[in-house]
Amino acid sequence: MTDENSVLLIIVLLPFIGALLPGVMIRGGRTVCATFTSLPTALALLLLLLLAPAVMRGETVHASLEWLPQLGLSASFFLDGLGLLFAGMILGMGLLITLYARFYLSGDDPMGVFYTYLLLFQGAMLGIVLSDNILLLLIFWELTSLSSFLLIGFWSHLPEGRQGARMALVVTGAGGLAMIAGMLILGDIAGSYQISEILMAGDAIRASEWYLPALILILLGAFTKSAQFPFHFWLPHAMAAPTPVSAYLHSATMVKAGVFLMARMWPVLAGTDAWFYIVATTGLVTMVLGALIALFKDDLKALLAFSTVSHLGLLTMLLGLGTPFAAVVAVFHIINHLTFKAALFMIAGIVDHEAHTRDIKRLGGLRRLMPVTFVIGTITALSMAGIPLFNGFLSKEMMLDAAQQTEWAGSQFAVPVLATIGALLSVAYSLRFIGHVFLGPVRSDYPSTPHDPAFGMWAAPALLATLVVLIGILPVVIVGPLVAVAGAAVIGGEPLPHYSLKIWHGVNPALVMSVIAVGGGLVLLALHSRLDRIWNALPRPEAKAIFDALVDGMAALSRDLIERSHNGAISRYLAILFAATVALGLVAFAGGSMGLPSRALLPVAPPVVVGWVLLIAAALFVVVMHRHRFLALVVIGVIGLMISVGFAYLSAPDLALTQISVETVTIMLLLLALHFLPKTSPKESSTLLRLRDAGIAIAAGLSVASLAYAFMLRDVSTISGYHLANSYEGGGGTNVVNVILVDFRGYDTYGEIIVLGIAGLVIFALMEALLKGPAAQRLRTTDLSDNRSRDRHPLMMVVATRVMMPIAVMVGIYIFLRGHNQPGGGFVAGLVISIALLMQYMASGFAWAQLRQRVEYHAMIGWGVVIAGLTGAGAWLAGKPFLTSAFGYVHLPPIEEFELATAMIFDLGVFLAVLGAVMLMLYSLSRIARSAREPVNAEPMDYDPTARGKATRKDT
Amino acid sequence: MTSADFSIILPELLLALFAMIALLAGVWTGKDKVARPILWATVAVMLVLAALIAVAGGASRTAFGGLFLDDAFARFAKVAVLLSAAAVLAMSVDYLTRRGLLRFEYPILIALAVVGMMMMVSAGDLMSLYLGLELQSLALYIVAALRRDSVKSTEAGLKYFVLGALSSGLLLYGASLTYGFAGTTEFAGILSVVREGEMPLGLMFGLVFLITGLAFKVSAVPFHMWTPDVYEGSPTPVTAFFATAPKIAAMALFARLVHDAFGTVPGDWGQVVAALAVASMFLGAIAAIGQKNIKRLMAYSSISHMGFALVGLAAGSALGVQAMLIYVAIYVAMNIGTFAFILSMERDGQPVTDISALNYYARREPLKALALLVLLFSLAGVPPMLGFFGKFAVLSAAVKAGYVWLAVLGVIASVIGAFYYIRIVYFMYFGTETDPLDRRMPAVQWVLFMGSAVVMLVGIVNLFGIEGAAGTAAAALVR
Repeated sequence: MTDENSVLLIIVLLPFIGALLPGVMIRGGRTVCATFTSLPTALALLLLLLLAPAVMRGETVHASLEWLPQLGLSASFFLDGLGLLFAGMILGMGLLITLYARFYLSGDDPMGVFYTYLLLFQGAMLGIVLSDNILLLLIFWELTSLSSFLLIGFWSHLPEGRQGARMALVVTGAGGLAMIAGMLILGDIAGSYQISEILMAGDAIRASEWYLPALILILLGAFTKSAQFPFHFWLPHAMAAPTPVSAYLHSATMVKAGVFLMARMWPVLAGTDAWFYIVATTGLVTMVLGALIALFKDDLKALLAFSTVSHLGLLTMLLGLGTPFAAVVAVFHIINHLTFKAALFMIAGIVDHEAHTRDIKRLGGLRRLMPVTFVIGTITALSMAGIPLFNGFLSKEMMLDAAQQTEWAGSQFAVPVLATIGALLSVAYSLRFIGHVFLGPVRSDYPSTPHDPAFGMWAAPALLATLVVLIGILPVVIVGPLVAVAGAAVIGGEPLPHYSLKIWHGVNPALVMSVIAVGGGLVLLALHSRLDRIWNALPRPEAKAIFDALVDGMAALSRDLIERSHNGAISRYLAILFAATVALGLVAFAGGSMGLPSRALLPVAPPVVVGWVLLIAAALFVVVMHRHRFLALVVIGVIGLMISVGFAYLSAPDLALTQISVETVTIMLLLLALHFLPKTSPKESSTLLRLRDAGIAIAAGLSVASLAYAFMLRDVSTISGYHLANSYEGGGGTNVVNVILVDFRGYDTYGEIIVLGIAGLVIFALMEALLKGPAAQRLRTTDLSDNRSRDRHPLMMVVATRVMMPIAVMVGIYIFLRGHNQPGGGFVAGLVISIALLMQYMASGFAWAQLRQRVEYHAMIGWGVVIAGLTGAGAWLAGKPFLTSAFGYVHLPPIEEFELATAMIFDLGVFLAVLGAVMLMLYSLSRIARSAREPVNAEPMDYDPTARGKATRKDT
Repeated sequence: MTSADFSIILPELLLALFAMIALLAGVWTGKDKVARPILWATVAVMLVLAALIAVAGGASRTAFGGLFLDDAFARFAKVAVLLSAAAVLAMSVDYLTRRGLLRFEYPILIALAVVGMMMMVSAGDLMSLYLGLELQSLALYIVAALRRDSVKSTEAGLKYFVLGALSSGLLLYGASLTYGFAGTTEFAGILSVVREGEMPLGLMFGLVFLITGLAFKVSAVPFHMWTPDVYEGSPTPVTAFFATAPKIAAMALFARLVHDAFGTVPGDWGQVVAALAVASMFLGAIAAIGQKNIKRLMAYSSISHMGFALVGLAAGSALGVQAMLIYVAIYVAMNIGTFAFILSMERDGQPVTDISALNYYARREPLKALALLVLLFSLAGVPPMLGFFGKFAVLSAAVKAGYVWLAVLGVIASVIGAFYYIRIVYFMYFGTETDPLDRRMPAVQWVLFMGSAVVMLVGIVNLFGIEGAAGTAAAALVR
């Protein structure tokens, strides 16, 4: 890296480093603060001037640092003619503004904060104009929005400032974000995010199909920043900021960022029809509209603000024309606009500072009271009007010249006429600025008697006014080389067009247009008061009102939308979730592929039809009758039974056995639970909603059904083959389902019994909490005597269950033992024995049965899990993975040879856990009844067969 | 199952053991009286584990026959999960104590949720995926309803549970279809079955339902409906947790699944993910505009942010995964800071969540307002804050993968989304006078809040090197 390169980096960094100084120096007072602000600026300007000769020779200074290369980001900068022009303007103006602000702001304002923000802004602006990486540019771009927000908000106690700051931030911030996409596309087409490389890829970019989107997105950023129609409205509202800010940000630098970007990207983006029609038209409209509004503004700063809008439009139009000549004119006008407009803002600030008002209607006659201010103001305003001998005239003439050569959509006159109107309006408001503020009689009712301010305050505008005159008279000497080198940078590789910076070009169309403009402007000014009345009477769209309405409307719309869709109702959420799932299913259906059906339908046997019809009928019945809970539960039982029958029919006895036991246990437990709940559910949704839900449900059901149908018609490789083949050899069992459960998928089963155990414990814990809470109170006062059966523990049932008990236990053990090779297993066995026990409880009442059992259910669950876990862990001893089963054949006379598998011990754990969980649930549910003071039986049944006729029921 | 397997899952094992020991210790000693030491111990354990994992490095390893993977991708996600969980736990102490919500189960549940998340990001099999996911979810269902005496909190927990159980069901359905057609639940096995070109319908359905289930967990539209209600109803520290660690884990799992198991057919899931991304970005951005409650606003904001993260995923490239990881990491860092602030929003000692309470905040608390401004702009993705780099990374990954339309839509959504962040800033700087918020801010919250804001600014120097780590992580995932 050469010295030049590091100098460039230092220039960019100086303002950011310097931003720390004013904050530190805050105690030193205003002057110290201002001095320390101007130091980094002046130093940066000095360094820039050191680099200037090289740039003026046509060289480009590059500097680059590695920074997040994976994102395509590098801290690289380059200085060419355009960059030099803008950087010089930013730093030079920065110095003047620092000086001006020192005198403008009062001692009560926090100067340190102000100067810090100002330097931050200055650094960001420098970054924009010197960046060689579009990402870096974007970063600096938004940083200017941000720091300008802080500067506008500096006087946040002023109510009008608030709206302005918000609007400025929303509009420019959003535009900057939109630009990100445009830059991304641009970088993608060019294959690099370096601006210097993108500038080489102009042809590829213009030919790309993504050119138009990229163009529009980038222009969105540029137009919002440079306040182009229809985004022009934010700029005047941002004028609530202190005047130094307005002069610096809103006329000299920040609003030019958009123009700068268009100029920077000119070689790549300009030259197409899209560019011409979008950019030139927007610029033209903005120019005329801004000037028109400016004419009727009574607030000095508002007048200048709209005039700025108008001039920015002019610049945009010039760049939009797409010809090298117009581009050079734009560069020239940028310089001229800077000199006169910044000075005018400062003058407005001085007037405001001295007279304590900016209202033109309350001013006039200041010529005598403030002679110095008057002279500076007049020179600069005449330049703005485009009067000869001042620099505004030169660029205006060239602009008119460019305009009269332009054809817009086949029309020769559209552009020249509008440009002349713009110039005419410009003359009118500029002269009004002079006439209505400085000329006329001295008034007696100024809010404060004005006089010329201290030298420090008018020094900066005076310097600028001098420049206005010097450039106006000796353009080639003063700025000729700069315009040439900056112009060359804008138009890229092409040779500079022929142009001449001089006052007298002879009588040409531009001069004629200019004369018309000046004459018309004078007429307008003479008629101003009458026109003003008409203007005020006319209905006109107020951009701020529209913006507010738009924002409020959007907020209201969004609120409405969200309140409708996110109303908190879970039924609605579920509806959306299912609808989306069905839609996604359709997507999958469209995306997946499937061979032709390879299986024929089987003949339908009559029992199957009966079962099918029963299933459908039961399902429909549940849906229709689901409010009657008991009925629905009974019918759900039917469905469960049909499914077990189906399993049996399809040769899956294991599943059938498990299903039927599970079904029985669940229905019994649910019946118990329902006993204490309301018998019906209330209706909560309207018919329409239920129809919608029905539609979604049917769609989801049909989709799943058709999916299943489609799969079953095709031969697919399934996972069953593996299990069938390996069940005996690998797991030592011929009952594949059981081997899967305890061996292949032992983990699942292990997890399952833990879950079951937890479920049992949770029901217990919930009941515990419930019965200590307010619910218990209600239960105690509930009268359950009405619906109590007379004979709650019938003799027949008691006797029958006693007889069945040992048989059921025997069956359970049998099922457990045969499990490994035949249908059965620990799970089913556990359920069968639970059913046997459940029946005892039902027959003789809970308390009676409970007194007779010695085992703690909690412990039973725990032991079950522990046994199963230890069995699994035992495999480690043999150096095998967890839950690997071993098996062997044992011959113990006199019993036949039988198989012993470790899986059996595992199964024992399963058995215990299942039994314990089911019984614990039952125990928990019964506690509700006991809280409701159900009678506790001392005897197994209500009827005592030994004492005929004697009541044995005892209530305790 | 060997000792090598156990050494690979050592961090998970340690955290799980810690959680169980802490649970027992809590039950047998002072219960809620020891909540505070348990919480700080949890934070310490998480930080230590994060450090251990961060320095571990090394090549990709598998444990338990492919059920569990340990690679750079998993390590990246784990460190992010652990750090964010620790930060959220640390900053919620004060809030929970003052509301009487500091139960000793809280840090333990969070620790268990984190174990689940670590499991998720390391899953190499549909089984371990589901186990991790459920462990996380079950713990989250409970903490959502932590404030049991509040109807809103209870409702939030219940809604989350019902919808979450349903989405788990969908995910399981997808998993079983995948298993049925691929013949294996192992990602590597599925990957070898899934070929470019014709995708069997069964696998396609499996894939779509798996995506559905995961979309719910990352709260992608249209499976996002639980998010605003749960964010609003849960106690604020829990909301802060929801907005951070689980998002990393779920996004990482999402990436893991689509790349490890379906990496050969990016076209088949890329479109679906892109659609989810667009819907999320826009709904999140539009819905947030009308919000008055800052917690609800953050819910929609997180929906929108997840949409952006999904953009990176939709790109289907290593670059996309890298961008997604960067995005999520930055997102979490921003959210920690923002929630640290929201936790401190109080008036007369009572928590306030109304956005209008921030009116004119800059006048009274210039420093805090500035920090919040930085965070909000970062959330909006405005350069030069760190948030911009995340957004830029995912958008450029999308552009490079040919999804230019997605990137353009993303930018439009971010423009809409920027509006509501700017609105808060506007309130702070220019609002009207309201009753001031309390000035009180506990030290931990202050440090995290300011620290996060500083990170958003200083991070732009080199993103703290996470883009390198994320690159390594992405390279481990997308081969």
